[in-house]
Amino acid sequence: MGTNPVLNKKLAIFTATGCRACENAILDIHYQVSSLSRYADIAFWPYVLGSEWRDLEKQERIDICFFSGAIRTGGDREAALKLREKSRIMVACGACAAFGGMPGLVNMSQSSGESGQSQGTMDNNQQASEEKKPELPPLEPRVLGLSQIVKVDYFVPGCPPTQNFLWAAIQSLVCNGQSPARLSFAASRLPETIGRSITSGILPPKGSIFAGEKAVCASCSRVKEEKRFETYKRPYQAYEESGRCLLEQGLVCQGITTREGCGGLCTAVGLPCRGCFGKAEAVFDPGAKMVSAIGSTFDSDDAQEIAAVVDDFVDLVGTFYRYTLPTQCALFSTPPKD
Amino acid sequence: MSDFEPKIIAFLCTWCAYVAADTAGIARYKQKPNVRVIRVLCSGMVDPSYVLKAFTTGADAVLVGGCHPGDCHYISGNFKAMRRAPLLNKLLEEMGVESGRFRLEWIAASDAPQYAEIINQMSEEVRRLGPFSPSMIK
Amino acid sequence: MTFEPLRWQEDPVRIAVFHDTEYLQAYFQVTAPRDIEWICKGRPVEELPRILTILSPSHHLASAKALDRLFGVEPPPMARNMREALLQAHIFRHHLRKLYFLISSRHNPFLDRQKRGNRGEPQLFPPHFLDEIMHHEALSQEAATILGGRCDHPLSAVTGGVSRFLKEDHYHRLSEIAEFCLKFAMRVGEFLRDEIFGDGKALDALGSTYGQNLQVEPMVSLTLAEKDGNVVLRDPVGKEMDRFSPDMMFEKIGFHNESWTHEPFAYIKGTSENATRKVQEQIGNIFHSEFPIPNPEFFFVGPLARLNSGEALGYPLAEEERQRLIEVLGPFPHFGVVAAYWALLVELVQAAEKMTGLYAQEKLTGPAIRTIPSEMGQVGHAVLESPQGLIFHHYRTDQKGIVEEVEVLGTGTGNNALRCLLTQKAVDISQARGEAWEETKNRIEISLLPF
Repeated sequence: MGTNPVLNKKLAIFTATGCRACENAILDIHYQVSSLSRYADIAFWPYVLGSEWRDLEKQERIDICFFSGAIRTGGDREAALKLREKSRIMVACGACAAFGGMPGLVNMSQSSGESGQSQGTMDNNQQASEEKKPELPPLEPRVLGLSQIVKVDYFVPGCPPTQNFLWAAIQSLVCNGQSPARLSFAASRLPETIGRSITSGILPPKGSIFAGEKAVCASCSRVKEEKRFETYKRPYQAYEESGRCLLEQGLVCQGITTREGCGGLCTAVGLPCRGCFGKAEAVFDPGAKMVSAIGSTFDSDDAQEIAAVVDDFVDLVGTFYRYTLPTQCALFSTPPKD
Repeated sequence: MSDFEPKIIAFLCTWCAYVAADTAGIARYKQKPNVRVIRVLCSGMVDPSYVLKAFTTGADAVLVGGCHPGDCHYISGNFKAMRRAPLLNKLLEEMGVESGRFRLEWIAASDAPQYAEIINQMSEEVRRLGPFSPSMIK
Repeated sequence: MTFEPLRWQEDPVRIAVFHDTEYLQAYFQVTAPRDIEWICKGRPVEELPRILTILSPSHHLASAKALDRLFGVEPPPMARNMREALLQAHIFRHHLRKLYFLISSRHNPFLDRQKRGNRGEPQLFPPHFLDEIMHHEALSQEAATILGGRCDHPLSAVTGGVSRFLKEDHYHRLSEIAEFCLKFAMRVGEFLRDEIFGDGKALDALGSTYGQNLQVEPMVSLTLAEKDGNVVLRDPVGKEMDRFSPDMMFEKIGFHNESWTHEPFAYIKGTSENATRKVQEQIGNIFHSEFPIPNPEFFFVGPLARLNSGEALGYPLAEEERQRLIEVLGPFPHFGVVAAYWALLVELVQAAEKMTGLYAQEKLTGPAIRTIPSEMGQVGHAVLESPQGLIFHHYRTDQKGIVEEVEVLGTGTGNNALRCLLTQKAVDISQARGEAWEETKNRIEISLLPF
């Protein structure tokens, strides 16, 4: 029982522009769920192992690359291209890589070619210096998700991805069907092809998303009665924190258009869903779906009344597309690379 | 800009708006040629996704035509359209789609002149607004 | 010569070293912007805790605090305790993780044990200890999940309180976790004292030098005084030089941009206009010249800055640890890398002690989880000591509560100057010792890690 250099998969783990929650999640899997060293040699992991680009070049090939973070700079783009070239399988890990994530909201601002630093309290040193100074990688004109730069083979959504699905992805792609019996309970919400790949080692079809197919409502623990949207409420106002469905109470909860898999994490804590798993299988555009869902539940037949309620709604785009603006907003997105 | 011919996608309900459009055509009411008609059973079945999809695939404007409230063939289908419209308008507005580009109108089957009038108005307004392109929205 | 990517850094970072002259000039570059302004502008202000949680759990809590002020509400005592309990769990987790990185730095923790043993590399630390560290990391994550809804990006701090009650079985589990964490913090302390801090040789092997304790010229420490909620500036010899209330933050602290990094530099504005102008003129120079000039107007934040107050801690075991630090390294203030690591240990023990106190049923139960606001102001701010140092939030909204202006002072900005100067120091020491570039990179990483 030792590492098997023949069968072990070579992994690369990298974050472009984002936080480190996705990488920490993988570190946690290694210690809390199952030791990765039985199945994988981690050949490139700058955050934990200090690997450099030179080390990546020395590798002949990487089997699976877990790529997190949105594409914000030219450096991110280069990194994505380099890793895609070396890797047999590319996994977009986390909402930023899969959909663009919260950095994607930058695309709504005027000039995303500059950085969004506050200028209010800045005083820039205007001194022209003779000495050579290093340059920064150029900013991309729009924030992009990984699939808009390179072909992505699999997606693990979430901000951050839940340990269940991350482990399911690792079992499915890395463990050669030899994963230990500790299957996540999330396996029951996974599409059949993924469940099969965990037990047999046959890879799921390219483009698979490691999450459920229905909407979050299917796994949400709240009580759903009759859908009737009477007044619009904002989360700082009073509402029942546990028990009744949030949409029914007048909050904008996006569970109805979001892919399930988290188990209704936010709604269980008393907060409306904000769609970090991306849109559910049958949805064309999350914003349109929310308009349809909320609009159809207005109780009135009077146009004035409805207009008055709608007037209170704020920031529809920033709410409906908070994690998915670059890739899933029909009007704002560019098509994925094929 | 003066050569620009706007493309208007019109979702018209079979029972009222489409009949009006048909009549307007037969009666040769003067109307702009910029409309592509999609006939649907009821204005209530026009999901906001269709509207967005129309915009992403080349439409410069979208019209949804249904029966007057109370006259819907399916009793309350048009109310569904009515309930969605303000929120959809708000979403479109936030995304930078100018307000003249999407309209929900009640058009009675007998009211062919009104249909022609709406089309002409919309064409002129959209011609003035110019072509719609998603990349234009930042 | 560039080092990219860098180990253990939360931001995307690159080190560029120029060798144009006889001396090496090193630049610590943050290569991507965080875009906080653009992500937050136009959002409903009550959403900010859920948005800013991506920066760190402490930002989530600071955001909720700022909202309390904006909406003019006081969270009920239970909610305050829950938020504080969440913060302590994250302090424990954060510090433990940094110590994990330190201890695992010289070997690949993912190698199979057999293989590792056979390679004949000197076994600096027993591998099972890493497993134990991560097990307790998992415990603190569990506590953070119970209290925050989610570990890495917590949810539960909202306007006026927290978002839901805890369940019966949570209380028992939390006090269990606190007990385990405290015991383990003591063991970590023993281990570190024996292996690393004791004679400093092991730290030397890891890339820092105990004899020539890697540190920058002393600078000002910026901390939050717990008792009165004011921000305190302490000069390089440990004396208090200024104390002000958080709403004066942007009058006292200025920001400076350099073209080669996305992270701004925070500095202390002078007391008069002339003094401020002098500081502004000097700041550019400090990073352009061959010999970085220590500028007393820079400050740093973090555990070491907090301990530089020299005050005794109110928690006995942590205070004992702090005394041990003083015994070996001398009295505060300290500015070096070894002291920074030891400060992590002291705060780890303190966090565990605080957790033991807070994770009790009576502290975390109550009739209400949040106070519903009856009005909405347009300005809010909050200051908080995060595991990595002091952070500050400031929001301004329109009448509908939509964010118009947002300023977030994070530890990246607060410590930017320190990290740049440390990098230069590390490169200088490396050059003086004639080390290979791999060693230089390691030295830089080890030096930056505890800050």
